[in-house]
Amino acid sequence: MTVERTAEMAQRPAEVKSVNPGIDWRGRALDRAPFLVACLMLALIVAIYGSLQSGVFTLDELNLDTAAAMTLMLAATGQTIVLVRGGIDLSIGGMISLGTVIAATRFTDDPSTTALWALAILALGFGIGALNGLLISLLKLQPFLVTLATWSILNGVAMIILPTDGGSIPSWWVGFASAQFIGLTSPVWMLLALLLFWWWFHATRVGITIQASGSNEKSAFLSGVSITRVNLVTYGLSGLFAAGAALFLVTQTGAGSPTIGKDYILPSVAAAVIGGVSLFGGRGHLAGTLIGAFVLTLIGNLVFVLHVSSYWQPVASGVILLLSVLASSIAEKAARSRVQ
Amino acid sequence: MSAFLTRNRLIVLAYAGMVVLLLVTALFSPGFLSVSNMRSTVVLAAFVGIVALGQTFVIIGGGIDLSVPWVLNSAAIIMALLCGGQDLPLIWVMPLLLAGGAVIGLVNGVGVARFGVPPIIMTLATNVILQGLILVLTGGSPTPSAPALIQFLSVGRIGGFPVIALIWLALTLVATLLLSKAAFGRHLYALGTSATVAEFSGVPTARTTILTYVASGLTAAFAGMLLTGYSGQAYLGMGDAYLFTSIAAVAIGGASILGGSGHYLGTVAGAMVLTILTGLLPALNLSSGALLIVYGAVILLTVSIGSEAFAGLGGRLRRN
Repeated sequence: MTVERTAEMAQRPAEVKSVNPGIDWRGRALDRAPFLVACLMLALIVAIYGSLQSGVFTLDELNLDTAAAMTLMLAATGQTIVLVRGGIDLSIGGMISLGTVIAATRFTDDPSTTALWALAILALGFGIGALNGLLISLLKLQPFLVTLATWSILNGVAMIILPTDGGSIPSWWVGFASAQFIGLTSPVWMLLALLLFWWWFHATRVGITIQASGSNEKSAFLSGVSITRVNLVTYGLSGLFAAGAALFLVTQTGAGSPTIGKDYILPSVAAAVIGGVSLFGGRGHLAGTLIGAFVLTLIGNLVFVLHVSSYWQPVASGVILLLSVLASSIAEKAARSRVQ
Repeated sequence: MSAFLTRNRLIVLAYAGMVVLLLVTALFSPGFLSVSNMRSTVVLAAFVGIVALGQTFVIIGGGIDLSVPWVLNSAAIIMALLCGGQDLPLIWVMPLLLAGGAVIGLVNGVGVARFGVPPIIMTLATNVILQGLILVLTGGSPTPSAPALIQFLSVGRIGGFPVIALIWLALTLVATLLLSKAAFGRHLYALGTSATVAEFSGVPTARTTILTYVASGLTAAFAGMLLTGYSGQAYLGMGDAYLFTSIAAVAIGGASILGGSGHYLGTVAGAMVLTILTGLLPALNLSSGALLIVYGAVILLTVSIGSEAFAGLGGRLRRN
């Protein structure tokens, strides 16, 4: 909340505030419009899905769908942080591939070895992400091109480690995704953990500086924010979440793949945008991104129960992406005209 | 001359890099500089170069076109389906598909320029929509082989020169004229430097933006048809590699991804560099994984050289 207020105050002229000192409900609704549209879309998809298929409103279905969406959710969490910072991270595709091939070649039945390698993958993710951030800051490069380059490099390393899909993941690691606690499987608990993480993170000093630098880099810098440090943490976290996505993905595939990561690069951006995260930085919440990830995942289910060719799924996701981005651009225009 | 070098430092560097790469490759594999090998390198580079032509325009204008892979793939598949291996239908199929590519570009451009949709999202959406529609259309099954005429355009020769190299040369001339001599070029650089300033200076920013995406749709569709001729068949996924290579060629050619700078002549060198690297690696006995690593390193290197930080460093060194 505090972050939003500061961002709002930074963007809007002071007179607007004084004219309407009470709670500006319409302004708030406009601010949240993209998020509300995403919620509406999800509700609509679930309603159609639920009316065509029995057993949709059960815990089992929730467990299944969350497991199906979790890799994208983890990847999109990192992407959301980067987008709020005003950047973009294409290298997560390479990191996810690299994570799965390291897991598939190094994980053993011995839990302690595996745990060490899992930690190593997470550390590698953070390290490589931080390196992206440093390159962007120190050499004053564009995030798009830097992460395009590191994506290619990481993908190349993954292909050298494991040239084709394969390797094996110990069954106890695969079993993690279906482990239950009070009727809910671990992916659902991870979803709750992600929401808790964001609730905590966006109000921390780091979270606020990331959002402030995404809103207006120059004024953040002039207020004493170290842009280098912000970039290091932002891209580091993105790499960390990509590594996490890789560790979860292998529970679903049971193998490593040097090319699988590219399937998550643009969908992670799409999930965030559907959820109302602005590509121009400074605006967005993880809750929206997670809803966006659910929307993209459930379209697949919907296509299945409608008995149409599964090839319609990309068409549907493209149309939904366009609709939601149009909704947010209209809302943004309305908000701007209210200010002026 | 010196002013020319300063202004086009990055383009000159891209060509210098290309020559150095050629020599290095020749060192490792003596047959590399042979006429037949150079011919096949230029042919392969031409596909990247043609797709990257539209991408160059879009990027100079401050946008990006991610819809390239499936515009290319759609044109390839629909051409193969409509022609059924015959030459005659090409008379109407080629213009039809070029128009189709232009329409997709028009949709992208209108979305970006009129509705304020971020280019990444707009072109990503059209890309997945096209992908889905083509998959629905073909049901995933293979298409008839390419007509002989289009094969002639991609692999044929006129007096020793590959036809596609001549096509590429002609397109390069057109692009250079558009960027350096036409009002469109001036508008484009103004738009890419600052859309607001351009708008207030009377530049038709919306029209210019839309035209860049139309150009990109046209070149991607054209490349798709030529590529079908080269492989003898259209197949699903044939455009995927061109997203990365078209953007990489523009970046290596010295254009800023923020827009406002760069030239198609640089992109030509970028396309050559990428293709020569593909030829260098078998000579060094390196895997395709290594190729991706080298691609990434080359992109990082070229964008670093082009960055303000590097320019500032150069200035400091000179002052000392």
